[in-house]
Amino acid sequence: MITVSQLSKRYGKDLVVDDMSFEVAAGRVTGFVGPNGAGKSTTMRMMVGLTRPDRGEVRYRGVHYTELLRPACVVGSVLDVRCMHPGRSARDHLHAVAQLSGIPRRRVAEVLHEVGLDAAADQRAGAFSLGMRQRLALAGALLGQPDVLLLDEPSNGLDPDGIRWLRGTLRTFADQGGTVFVSSHLIAELAMFADDLVVVGGGRLLVAEPIATTMARGDTAVHVRTPDTAELASLLSRAGITVHTTGPTLSAHGTTTDIVSQIAFDHQLRIVEISETSRSLEEILLDITGATAEFASA
Amino acid sequence: MTSTTTPETMESSDPWVAPLRRCAATRSHRDSVAAIPNALASEWTKLRSVRSNLAILCGTTAIGIVLVWVLAVFVKTDPDTREAFTVGNSFSFPTWLSTVLAVVAGTLMFTSEVQHGTLAAAITAQPARWVTVAAKSAIAAGFGLAMGIAGMIAGVSGGVLGGLDAGDTAGMPATAAWGLMLTTVAAVFGLGIGMTVRHSSAAISMTLVWAFVIENLFRSFAPPTFSRYLPFNALNGLLSIETTSDPKALAVAFTRVQDALLFSSYTVAALTIGTVLFYRRDTN
Repeated sequence: MITVSQLSKRYGKDLVVDDMSFEVAAGRVTGFVGPNGAGKSTTMRMMVGLTRPDRGEVRYRGVHYTELLRPACVVGSVLDVRCMHPGRSARDHLHAVAQLSGIPRRRVAEVLHEVGLDAAADQRAGAFSLGMRQRLALAGALLGQPDVLLLDEPSNGLDPDGIRWLRGTLRTFADQGGTVFVSSHLIAELAMFADDLVVVGGGRLLVAEPIATTMARGDTAVHVRTPDTAELASLLSRAGITVHTTGPTLSAHGTTTDIVSQIAFDHQLRIVEISETSRSLEEILLDITGATAEFASA
Repeated sequence: MTSTTTPETMESSDPWVAPLRRCAATRSHRDSVAAIPNALASEWTKLRSVRSNLAILCGTTAIGIVLVWVLAVFVKTDPDTREAFTVGNSFSFPTWLSTVLAVVAGTLMFTSEVQHGTLAAAITAQPARWVTVAAKSAIAAGFGLAMGIAGMIAGVSGGVLGGLDAGDTAGMPATAAWGLMLTTVAAVFGLGIGMTVRHSSAAISMTLVWAFVIENLFRSFAPPTFSRYLPFNALNGLLSIETTSDPKALAVAFTRVQDALLFSSYTVAALTIGTVLFYRRDTN
């Protein structure tokens, strides 16, 4: 478990992280989302001691990162995919990191195999594609067999197969008790495997909750095409359902197709077409972060 | 301080999942000290796995050979003393170049890590930053020593290839010792500069401009009682290179031991400032 308490960071006049507190549970994948400039990267850097917080702290099962005996064996992090010398081979890069962490050399070959870079192990990192760099960075994070993974935009540059591999890997890692904290702009992608969401905006925590709770914030509407629009609208209203009518189509909000079709059936009303729409997680998050977005499209 | 360990909660044997056996153990100062050999091994791997370091070493040797060979074949006598060049009096000529390149190599040991983002990986792996500083200093010193040796071997080789006589070789051990001490310390000096400036081009160009332009201006316009304290003046003194023929300046010049102490002081200062900044600055 990761506990982030009252984390704050100011650069000059800009308060980039403002009193942020949340917990990341073990055995779950937690997505870390927010618009550009929301303070995600700064928060993640403070979580591994690269940036010094002005106030607050981060603890891993009660211990500060900088006080961990062997940090690489507790937390594996990928915060910048560029973090490798272009003139150094993937094997040497990982070997240097392993040596610094006191990790046996055999782990280098193991993680290279796990991320699918065996064949490129002796190539210089400068010749790597962005996707290969992502895999190499992830290999570095996995060297110490950590139980926490902190990943900043890990799917950037990965091809569809790589994204699926990453999703499966992180899901398995969490299912086996590991803690995954991952930032991403690919909300739809995140929705496929995350359990919880931490949403930030303007440096502040906006929401920290299970993704199912966030999804429930979305407005569900049932759209019905029927020749008996007025009668069905009246019945639904009497059932306490908000209804809007546009020509032959009726929209019922905050209900389900099961309920609407049951009411119509009970009163022998003919339904020509019925469908249900709900807002995507992306739309819901845009609503949550909308007021805090520093850089918004016109 | 004592180390404590929290109870294990994860029991999977899957390689993806960490055995939490050592998860939340806290680090003591003794643990940080014990991590120095690991840090040294890591820095050595970084040094040997990048071709530019080998290129600097080979370049030092090649240029040194050519330099002394040219002196032996085309110049033949020292223009100031009118003494004929011998292996004994010319083998240390490439040491000045070795020293400058050792400063550059030491600088790059830190700035290239900043430039390529590998410093962040090093800090997340070893949060006790002084351990990284100690390991880098030791490896930089070792590389500086290797460059000094390469330069002197090049000097001897160039002299032999140029057909020079052995000459008086009695003073060679002392000259070699001072030269090697200088290249060793110079690499650590460069590391300190790199840690302070954190940008390869800026750090190297500032150092070279200081060495070749600023100090020469000081030597021309400032009193010798002031200019004798300049770092590259001390460096020249260590190699017995006379940068002036002014009797007043020669009269107040420091001895080799004083120059060695002065240059070492600059090195300690650069490394101290660099270390303080390394702790205070956020790492990108």
